[in-house]
Amino acid sequence: MNLLDKYIAEVGKHLPRKQRADIEAEIRSTLEDMLEERKQAEGAVLSESKVPENEALVIELLKEYGNPRKVAASYHPTPYLIGPRLFPIFVVVVQVVLSVLLGVIILTYGFSVVGGGLSRAEMLGALTGIPLRFLAGALSAFGNIVVVFAIMERLIPAGKLKELEDKWDPAQLAKAPDPDQIKFSEEIIEIFFTIAFLFIFNVYADKVGIYFFSGNQFTFVPILTAAFFTYLPWINILGLLQIGLNLVILRQGTWQIYTRVANLTLKLGTMLLALFMLTGPAILAITPGAAAGTPLGALSPDKVETLTGFVLIPFFIALFAANGVEVIQITYRLLNSHKPVRFEMQK
Amino acid sequence: MENNELVQNMLLELRRGILSVAVLSQLSHEQYGYSLLKGLSDQGMEIDQSTLYPLLRRLEAQGLLQSDWRIVDDARPRRYYVISAQGQAVLAQLKSEWSALVGTMQKMLV
Repeated sequence: MNLLDKYIAEVGKHLPRKQRADIEAEIRSTLEDMLEERKQAEGAVLSESKVPENEALVIELLKEYGNPRKVAASYHPTPYLIGPRLFPIFVVVVQVVLSVLLGVIILTYGFSVVGGGLSRAEMLGALTGIPLRFLAGALSAFGNIVVVFAIMERLIPAGKLKELEDKWDPAQLAKAPDPDQIKFSEEIIEIFFTIAFLFIFNVYADKVGIYFFSGNQFTFVPILTAAFFTYLPWINILGLLQIGLNLVILRQGTWQIYTRVANLTLKLGTMLLALFMLTGPAILAITPGAAAGTPLGALSPDKVETLTGFVLIPFFIALFAANGVEVIQITYRLLNSHKPVRFEMQK
Repeated sequence: MENNELVQNMLLELRRGILSVAVLSQLSHEQYGYSLLKGLSDQGMEIDQSTLYPLLRRLEAQGLLQSDWRIVDDARPRRYYVISAQGQAVLAQLKSEWSALVGTMQKMLV
């Protein structure tokens, strides 16, 4: 392998795999052209026997052609982890999630204080721990959000979104919004929260629970039961279908009858699953063993049930309300989507 | 930032757009990369290999150029580029835009 080959191989290392062979061949052909021209300019005889002279020429040529890494980089478009189209939404999600995180940490502290059993010094210790806990939580939340958005950046097709943005017309400000036009940010946020939800219950399920500061120590009481995990496959299927549907909708840019029907089916499926989870065996529970040493450990079983109900019922009410409103909206749009046609026929 | 650096950056931006037009204009007959590079340089349009080759690829991906590998006159294989029908249409439009732009700028820069 001579110097030229080595140089080309070095450039190739940093090239996109698909175009590597082709770009390498072109660089080789160019370098050989340039080399030949220089040899002729120097009046050198074109023979392989004059190796040392050739080598000096090659070195000079390669120096001029540039650092292999830089040469390879010129073939790449600027890579984005999170591109400019998703970045504004990314910022909003980070702000929301970090605010919620701060709220949860302060609430947890509040519960520990109200739960009693802490001395003044212990309370102060827990209080000074808040910034540190927030920092740790914020870092991991931020990392996870970045991962989710980086995935979305690669899943969402480029062309369609630009078209959607370019369609904007100031006249639309005055008119009522077109019900068939999808809302880009709503779809993205729905994808984000679906991925986040799936992520939490599949990867961090063992960390879902109630957290306590007891003195300087930090206790965690898991609350998900085995019954919850029997529903997890169904949650996953619904979640993945939801993401798939969001992507199809983003690709198409407007609602179609069949995407509306699919959306309706998914929302009804979610409500049905929620109904099963609510009426079946308890999905949240606090085992006395795990709760020992926390204010929860002293609670009687029926108090525990009241407490889990306190968490579950508002969640399910919110879920039913949100899905119910959507079901009504979708049904309304489906029933009204033929209106213009009928109107024309009457004319 | 030094004035010199500012000028360099702005020149780079200016040239970035112009180079595509320059390349399209020189490919009415087919050429391989290095001959194009020399042709441009002879006419006073200096361009780096590291700029030209990726640019040729981009223009080809956009459908404005066509290329294929060929051996001419028993020399080594080279990739020959030539403007496509779409490229010609685009170039014609760019030419008239360019003259308008030059006219406007000349009036402004007097």
